[in-house]
Amino acid sequence: MADPPLVIEYGEAALLVVLGDRVDPSVNARVYRIAARLLADGGAGPGLGRPVPAYASLLVPFDPERIEAAAARRAVEEVLADPAVSEPGPEAGPGAAGDRAPIEIPVRYGGSDGPDLDEVAARLGRSVDEIVALHTAPVYRVFMIGFSPGFPYLGPLPSELELPRRAEPRSRVPAGSVAIAGRQTGIYPTESPGGWHLIGRTGERLWDPAADPPSRLDPGDLVRFVAT
Amino acid sequence: MLEVVEPGLLATIQDAGRPGHQRIGLAVAGACDGWSLAVANLLLGDRPDRPAIEVTLGGTVLFARETCVIGLGGADLGAEIDGRPVRPGIAHRLDRGAHLRFTGGRPGARAYVALPGGVDVPAVLGSASTDLRAGLGGLGGRALSSGDLLAPGRRGDLTAAGRRWPGPDAAPPTDPSDPIAVMPGPDLRHLPSDAMETIASTGWTVAPDADRMGVRLLGGSPIAVGSIVSHPVVPGSIQLTETGMPIVLLADAQTVGGYPVVAIVARADLPRVGQLRPGDHVRFVVVTADEARRRWRLLRRRLAEAAERIGAEATWDGLAGDARG
Repeated sequence: MADPPLVIEYGEAALLVVLGDRVDPSVNARVYRIAARLLADGGAGPGLGRPVPAYASLLVPFDPERIEAAAARRAVEEVLADPAVSEPGPEAGPGAAGDRAPIEIPVRYGGSDGPDLDEVAARLGRSVDEIVALHTAPVYRVFMIGFSPGFPYLGPLPSELELPRRAEPRSRVPAGSVAIAGRQTGIYPTESPGGWHLIGRTGERLWDPAADPPSRLDPGDLVRFVAT
Repeated sequence: MLEVVEPGLLATIQDAGRPGHQRIGLAVAGACDGWSLAVANLLLGDRPDRPAIEVTLGGTVLFARETCVIGLGGADLGAEIDGRPVRPGIAHRLDRGAHLRFTGGRPGARAYVALPGGVDVPAVLGSASTDLRAGLGGLGGRALSSGDLLAPGRRGDLTAAGRRWPGPDAAPPTDPSDPIAVMPGPDLRHLPSDAMETIASTGWTVAPDADRMGVRLLGGSPIAVGSIVSHPVVPGSIQLTETGMPIVLLADAQTVGGYPVVAIVARADLPRVGQLRPGDHVRFVVVTADEARRRWRLLRRRLAEAAERIGAEATWDGLAGDARG
């Protein structure tokens, strides 16, 4: 659905552009091409704020004191009408966010670093080594960052690793934990609650409050896990 | 120079927030009640978006290491200077050695203590606001604790002492019969057709766990919901959670969410949401986006007129609650 995209009023000072109703790499690539265009020099025009991208949608804030709501909508629709940003993108390929090389994240799998790995293997009927091999095989795309500061939603996860979230979320997940849930994998950049299955941990610092930007990863980046 | 003797339930440094970084999961943060932050700062003749101390519910005790003036805004949380009750909406002189104590009170949840020139803390990514989850802003990205020292941007400036807010609106209205203005949310197509009507016709009660991330509401019958593909959320977004009950997101809300957004609070009424405390009663009224923008302009004009009367600098771009990118 959502072709053409939906442009929905989101309160008095933002529009929500909806490109689809599911997590799909090509839709996500479109999100980032549109976001990149809106962020480029001058973006779509004065009065439009920095877009906030997600899986299949993006929020475009605007300042009603600088641009009429109708004009903000027209500016966004003009960007959407440009085939260069709005046509379906290559499957899992890099979008306009840049042709970046995958960022390698070293991971210690299992043991105290990945307390759920054995259970995950048992539930999926595979060996721990197979789970690690499956998890380290793909180049993942950062579909979006959210949940907690710097938390990357990475996908697609191989279907062989698909599991629902844990029935009982943990109240404290250690920083650096690498986790899976559904068709996605993620990294907890800071200690936080969490309901995903913890299969490993990285020593890489993904969130550094003193850095600018504080997040090591940016939406649209490509990521590969490396077992250590 | 103020020393924190007791932080109370929660005290943080907040300014008008840090919009524009939601793409990496950074909350907008900033004062939950941007109106009262502005009042506290304007009382001292400062821009409305200077960093100030946000006091939550009570228990906070501050000690004046040197004589200074504070702008007191927001809820009347039983503030006392050495046992003498002091009201918000006034710039109070604190003599050296005096204690400013928030003994607790209602209505309202948050008070603001401004210092001349703002509390002197460095800006991180354009804002001094404390973001507890991200661990940045304010004092080392953390809540205030005993022994912390807070310096004013302008030391020794006592000129504002005794200045009063020129109007009855030093704090946002807290009358629960005065409904909070909302607009229809972006996910109504995923919700039962009467979802908006239920939101507007129900008398809601604030759940016990209200915090800077959001205010959960209880009341009425649950609205049947499924999850949606996560999309961006902003302060003021009203999500329907799996319990079928709404949560109004506040300044520290996460940046994306998978619960459908049924409605969004008009920016002009966001300060009122920031003053809700557990047990408070809330009603909503549906307005158009045009009406919401009109109310926002009205709010800004009221602030501008008050600022002019007390001779403060009326600069609006940073009025908190404005979640622009």
